[in-house]
Amino acid sequence: MATAEKQVMIVAVDESEHSTYALEWTLDHFFVPLGDSCLFKLVIVHAKPSCTSSVGLAGPGAAEILPMVESDLKRIATRVLEKAKELCLSKSVSDVTLEVHEGDARNVLCEAVEKHHASILVVGNHGYGAIKRAVLGSVSDYCAHHAHCTVMIVKRPKTKH
Amino acid sequence: MRVMVAIDDSEESFYALNWALDNLFRDMDAPPEASGGGGGSEVVPPTLLLANVQQALQHYGVPIGPVGGAAFYPTVTVTESVKKAQEQISATILSRALQMCKDKMVITETLSLNGNPKDEICQAIEQKHADLLIVGSRGLGKIKRAFLGSVSNYCAHHAKCPVLIVKSPKDHE
Repeated sequence: MATAEKQVMIVAVDESEHSTYALEWTLDHFFVPLGDSCLFKLVIVHAKPSCTSSVGLAGPGAAEILPMVESDLKRIATRVLEKAKELCLSKSVSDVTLEVHEGDARNVLCEAVEKHHASILVVGNHGYGAIKRAVLGSVSDYCAHHAHCTVMIVKRPKTKH
Repeated sequence: MRVMVAIDDSEESFYALNWALDNLFRDMDAPPEASGGGGGSEVVPPTLLLANVQQALQHYGVPIGPVGGAAFYPTVTVTESVKKAQEQISATILSRALQMCKDKMVITETLSLNGNPKDEICQAIEQKHADLLIVGSRGLGKIKRAFLGSVSNYCAHHAKCPVLIVKSPKDHE
């Protein structure tokens, strides 16, 4: 049987440990065991928050700190993607596409799904309870309900002994 | 990798099973290639675990019978026959699912459970050491989900393993 075209799997990363765990779990279970004959093409997407949304205040002095916030965010984004790329290489997964998009994570991820016609979107989650989720918002919840593809939520097991 | 798929009689859950078979268990009949960097380790094919949960019958206040008071507590015969009917339903569902898996030559185990689907599935994950849970989604809106309850939503937050939610195509046109 000729090898079918690979489906696209998008993994969302941010700077939290949860998304690193999610990427590692996905690599271990979907990519490492199959090596070259893996079923998916990996795309890693990082949503960089826009500096204006991060800085709440709009008073005097905002104009001065905006460039600093912007460069800080850029640095974080680069670091996140580098870490992700290193993780992939350490697992011998070299066919990876890395992308950064500016904006709110919810929209960025759903748009990325549309753009790549992805068949799976993988997200980690912070393990918030119902109340925290309602107040802080949950990207994984939003994507699970609004993304136009299958969504996999990878949770870090709680280590409380 | 042990993959558990939650099955009930809805079309969405069978769509989820189909999706899983098509995307995760492709080329099962092809001979496994030894991966280069593994140092001679065998490629273990993923196994599938089909779980069907039947809601347990409430043991109180089921008014059966035309005349008031005829049967306010289900008699033993009623409970027995409902249990048998549920077992049959479960067996039919699981055999249909099993057939789909056999066609793809996937190693499959079936599990028939009784009780509240949310709790039973999460418990089964721990007991059977599943690595991944796959559920369908009925595409309920926020309000319906709060009232009708959503097994996939509950499992996504409470299951001890990663959860994959497969949406059926008629959710979005």
